[in-house]
Formats: sequence, structure tokens, C-alpha cells
Amino acid sequence: MSDQEIGDQSSPDDNSKRRFLLGLSRLVGAAAAAQLLAGNAISTALAYTPNPDSISHAGKIFSQAEMVLLRDICALVIPKTGTAGAAEVDTHGFIDSQLYHCYPPKDQQKVSAVLSKINQIALQRYKQHFSGTTNAQQLELLTDLEKPANGFDGTDKSQFKFLKGQIVFGYYTSEVGASQELEYLVVPGPFKGSIPYDSLGKTWGSMNRYF
Amino acid sequence: MNNDLYIKESNEIFDAIVVGSGISGGWAAKELCERGLKTLMIERGRVVEHKKDYIGEGVPPWKEPYRSKVNNLVTEQQAIQKQCYAFTDNTKHFFGNDRDLPYQTAEGTTFSWIRGNQLGGKSLTWHRQSYRLSDHDFSANKLDGFGNDWPIRYKDLAPWYSHVERHAGISGEAAGLPQLPDSEFQPPFEMTAPEIAIKASIEKYYPDRHLIMGRMAHLTEPSELHISQGRVNCQTRDECQKGCSFGAYFSTQSSTLPAAAQTGNLHIAPNSVVHSLIYDEKTRRVKGVKVIDNNDLSEREYLGKVVFLCASTIGSAQVMLNSKSKAFPNGIANSSGVLGHYLMDHNYNARIEGDIPGFENEYYRGRRPGGLLIPNFQYEPSRYSKNYVRGYSFSGDASREDWRSGQERDGFGADFKAKLSRAGKWRFGMTAQGEMLPRFENQVALHSTMKDKWGIPQLEFNCRWSDNEKLMMEDAAEVGRKMFIKVGLENVTAEATERPPGIAIHELGTARMGRDPKTSVLNSFNQCHDVDNLFVTDGSSFSSSATQNPSLTFMALTARAVDYAVKEIKAGRI
Repeated sequence: MSDQEIGDQSSPDDNSKRRFLLGLSRLVGAAAAAQLLAGNAISTALAYTPNPDSISHAGKIFSQAEMVLLRDICALVIPKTGTAGAAEVDTHGFIDSQLYHCYPPKDQQKVSAVLSKINQIALQRYKQHFSGTTNAQQLELLTDLEKPANGFDGTDKSQFKFLKGQIVFGYYTSEVGASQELEYLVVPGPFKGSIPYDSLGKTWGSMNRYF
Repeated sequence: MNNDLYIKESNEIFDAIVVGSGISGGWAAKELCERGLKTLMIERGRVVEHKKDYIGEGVPPWKEPYRSKVNNLVTEQQAIQKQCYAFTDNTKHFFGNDRDLPYQTAEGTTFSWIRGNQLGGKSLTWHRQSYRLSDHDFSANKLDGFGNDWPIRYKDLAPWYSHVERHAGISGEAAGLPQLPDSEFQPPFEMTAPEIAIKASIEKYYPDRHLIMGRMAHLTEPSELHISQGRVNCQTRDECQKGCSFGAYFSTQSSTLPAAAQTGNLHIAPNSVVHSLIYDEKTRRVKGVKVIDNNDLSEREYLGKVVFLCASTIGSAQVMLNSKSKAFPNGIANSSGVLGHYLMDHNYNARIEGDIPGFENEYYRGRRPGGLLIPNFQYEPSRYSKNYVRGYSFSGDASREDWRSGQERDGFGADFKAKLSRAGKWRFGMTAQGEMLPRFENQVALHSTMKDKWGIPQLEFNCRWSDNEKLMMEDAAEVGRKMFIKVGLENVTAEATERPPGIAIHELGTARMGRDPKTSVLNSFNQCHDVDNLFVTDGSSFSSSATQNPSLTFMALTARAVDYAVKEIKAGRI
């Protein structure tokens, strides 16, 4: 097997894998190196697949209206900058799936409760559903929620912290979050104890543990 | 590996039977096979093939069903296993199903029993920390009077440590410490800049404390032997417990199994739950094992001339306690009555953390698969603290904060995103790893009525920390707090916690070694005092826990015991 044959695809994994194999091949020979990784099963079938359309219908837990609200909050917490934000990578859809599969009902209810509270305050204050208010009004409202002040209490704040943790987790474990916003290294090679942080300017998106 | 490696039914009388395929069982099989003995390795769980069955390896989070978290249904089935730090969606298949593996605990006690019932056992999921015991450890029981004297000393085991280290591959740095003898080392992993600074500071203020790079069963400079086994140097992915196709860390699959299989002397009986050992009252020897099929619950036997029990500290005790005969109504080789007693674990119940000021432009590349160690500095009676006996080590590391520590902070928008994506403060954290005294009261026994699905009596644990362990952890938290402040760390927090025994997954001592058959199960070569052809070489043989992670000592004791057993066989005494 030639070096070209080992890696002619271009996803970040494959590039890293190819670079690794090239390095390794100097040590033990290309064929042996390729064989080393050949036996691995890759499981992709069951992963949550980002869906550009997940606000057009109800989720596993949340109603369609709640999905829209959740998407808007995702966009406010982690917006699109040089890279896509939390809403663009369907973090709201992911959260609906993740809470359904991996969290008990009491945690799911925390999110439902705080979404409802946010909408309730928006209606009181702006006579509009949250999604109908301006960006500035939305930010003002969420900032009050984190204080908490002006109608929000400590329970609302702690429920929102839980939701925020889900948004951050969902974003930084997404392909964009982990490998574009951050730097993803599949096979780092020998550990280097000191590199200048400025050479990277961000953290590693590849981790031993994500929670 | 070829297909006739695995067997189910067999009338053959094997030269040797090894029960268990983890760290100890793998070593027993390798050493027996290499000495020419036709060996049967018996494993209660399924086959796990190197590389092929590492299904969680190398999968990025966005391609995982739940981004590495485990779903509700599975955590219900693995309610105890999930307490292990290494339990994730990518590793859960290497942990047991708690519903199938019930056990009991005496009222008012808790024990977290973590299981790895598959070929390779917990060698697939271990933390790979590898440390020799010292003469201070082997003589502690004798010097302070707690527990029975180990029947061996460091010099007895030193050549066997070297033997297993060269094959397994241990990275680390020679430090010349009396309480932690050096191994045959591959180069150590690098420290980060703040770790180097903290090391210098600790060693300046505390001449008896040393901060060293952890010693790990990872290849950093593979030998010809390692490369010939298909093993290469560690790529610092730190995803070890998913399995490693580079064979960079030691496991049965990467290291001992290929060596054993290469001899042509190895057979493996998977899915074979050992019910009991078959004892021949006439010859006063073990002649084989009775097995229940893991899947269809049918019964079968395997026969052998010598048996190495390497089923784990708890597993081996269970098999022995359930092997009852006229000669041994309370379990085989249990004339002393200590079988199941003197159960120990390590105590990880003190944690200290703090911020490291500075080093803003320092970072690291790669995920180092382990941290640093401050070896026990209370390693002999004259160094004991005044409120308790024995000591503890500290292990931990420095790292920079990332989004995981900032995910609940206040704020929104591009600023919030930028803050999460940038590296935060450097943090330093260490956890104490305390010695647990061997106490008769801490035991595991067969439950009088409850059985598991294979018809084997369930175990009942009765194990708790004594005041000695509690006082030690309170002291460790305080000593650690003062040390962190002294070396300039900020916002230091120190906490003594109360996690139950078992969760260190360093169970030890249920069939302890000793010189006196009246107070111990095994002699100085891990041979049962009462049954000449039965050897027990896993953690159950420990007379004291010391503070070191025990697996390297399992390896050395096992290799030494096999060498002795084969010489005894050749001399006609077994």
C-alpha cells in the first residue's frame, strides 16, 4: 500500500490519521502501520445527526414552539462568528435528543420550566413571545435571568445554568465546535509538555473526557 | 489468533489451568506456555479481540450517539459500574452488567465492586500506573504490628519486576527513592512548565517529598520485542480504556496473550464461569474446575495438573469459598479460616486543588495518559504522623481550563464564545492515595441463601474504613492544603470525602500470603499452604496494601510463582 492510498480523503480525522501513518511508517513500515488501524469498527449509525429543519416540528421532549425558543437562545448564547454558532449546528435539536436519552425527567423539566418562564416574562414585558422580540430585548431579558432580577428568581437562574451547560456541551462536542472553533487532534503523537499558547490561540477540542 | 485457540468441550488433561485472563491471568498463561506447558486459560466472559473489538476507539464525539454520555437505560443496568471514572459510552461494554452480577453488603456498609468480565479483564480498562513495592512496604506489617508479615522481601521480587517490566514496557524516570524502587524504564512523559516549577518548589520546601512523573505501562521507546508484537509508542490520545490498536499500553491483548499464543501451547475457554475447583480428597490436589456456561448455563469440567487462580481478588475468593469438600468445608485451602478476610482497597478520599498563577503563554500538545506522583513520605514508623499509622501518596497534574470549566459562567454572545474557546487559568490538583490496614473484620463471604443466575452463591461484603483511614485522609487534606499554599498556589481548596471502599478498584488481600499456615492461605510463592498444586497470584495474595497501584506487583508475583511451580513440577513435587 502506498502513502497515497492510505489517506486520500480530506476530513480532519483522515488527515490526522494520514499524518500519523506517515510518521509511523518511518518506524515500522507503511504496511504494518496501515494494518494497525485497519481492524477498527467505526460506529456512526446512531449518532445524533444535525438537522437544519428541527424547528419545523416538535422534538422528543419539546413542542415546536419550544424548539423555536430553544434555537433562539442557542443563537444568543453562542452566536455565529468566524465559525458557525450553536443554532447553526442544531444544538437545540441535539439537546432535545440528549435530554430525552441521557437525563431523568426532572432535568428535562428544568428546561421546560425555564423556557416557559422566559416566554412568560417576554409577554409581560414586551407583549410578545420571546421569539418576536428584538435581539436587544432578548439579551436584556436573558441578562436579567442570570442576575436574577426583574421577575426572575434563583430557581429560574439555576434552571437556566443547567440549560446553558447543555448548550455549551452540545456546541463544543459538535464537529464545528470541536474541530473548527477549537483544534481537534485525533492522534497527537508524543506528548509535548511546553508549546507557546499563542501558536494555537485556542484550546484543544479533542479530549479524553467531555464531561 | 487462530480459531482453534478457543475451545468449549475438552477431555484433555491440561498441564496447567489459568482461571482469569486479566493482568495476572495473562502473565500466568504467558509464563506457563513459554515454559512448554499446555495451558488452558478460562475466562468467564466473551472474547475481546485486539483492535477489532475496540468499538469505541477513535470515534469523535459528534459521531457518538450521545457525545460520550451513556443513555438512561444503560446507566440503570450499570448503576454501580457507572461510578468508575472510566465508564463512558465508549467503554461501557468493558464493564459488567450489574443486573446480572448481584452482590450484597452488610447493613451499614457499602462496597463498589467494579467488574471487567471479558477476555483481558480489567487489563483493558486499568489506569496503567506501575510502581514497585519497596522493602519498607514488605516489612511494614512486621514493624508496626498491623497485619501479618509478608513472607517475601524486595530482593525476592526485584528480578521479577525487571522481567515483567521489560516485556510490558514501563515509562518513567529513575528517582533513586528508598520507598519507591526504580523500574526498568522507557523514557518518562514530559512535565508541563508549571509542573516543573511546582516540582522545584515542593522539593525546596519539603526535602522528604518528591514530585515525579507517573510511571505508566505505556511504550515511549518500544523495543524490538514490542515492535514485533505490533506495539508502537504511545500517541497520547488518552483514550486508553476504549482499547488501543497501537498496543501502546500494556494489556493482556497487546502483550501477554500474543506471547502465550505464539508458543502454540495456549487454549482459551471463553464464556466459562468457574463455579468451583474440583478437589481430590485422595491425592489432596486440585484436579480441575467446574464451569457453568456463561450463556446457556450448562455445566462442564476442565481438568489440569496445576491450577493458577487469577480471577481477581474478589473473584478468586468467591471461587475458593465455593469450593467445598470434606477436607475443606469452609472453602478450599482455608484451614486457617482467613480466606475472604483482610480485604483491602486504597483510600482516595482527600482532594486538593488550586490555581497556578502565571504561565499564560504555556500550553501542551497531546493528552498525556497519566499525571504526577508524590510518593509516600511516611513510609516507615519513624516517619508516621502521630495520629495514625502508615501513609499515602499524592497523584495529580496541572492543566489549563477549557470550556468544560466555564460552561455555566454568566454572559452571552461573541464575548462568551471567545472566552470559552480560549484557555483559562492553569489549575493544579492532587488526590491522596492512602494505605488501608489489613483488618480481619473487613471481609467478603458467601451469602447464605442468595445465588446468581449461574447458581453460584452471591458474595456479601462487610468492609468499612477504620479510624486509621479516616484520620489519614483528614490529615492528607490538611497537609496538601498547606503544601499548595506554601508553593504559591491560589484559591486552594482541600476536602476529605467519604467514598466507600472498592471504588479505587485496588481490591487486595482475601487469600493473604504468610509464613504460618495457621494465619495465611498462601506461602511465599503464592502456593496454597494446604493444596500443593493450587496457586493464587492476583491481588488476593497481598498481606498489606502499601500505597502503590498494585498491578505491576500482580505481574511480578505471577511470573515468580510460575517459575517456582514449573521447577516444582519438574522436580516431581507437584
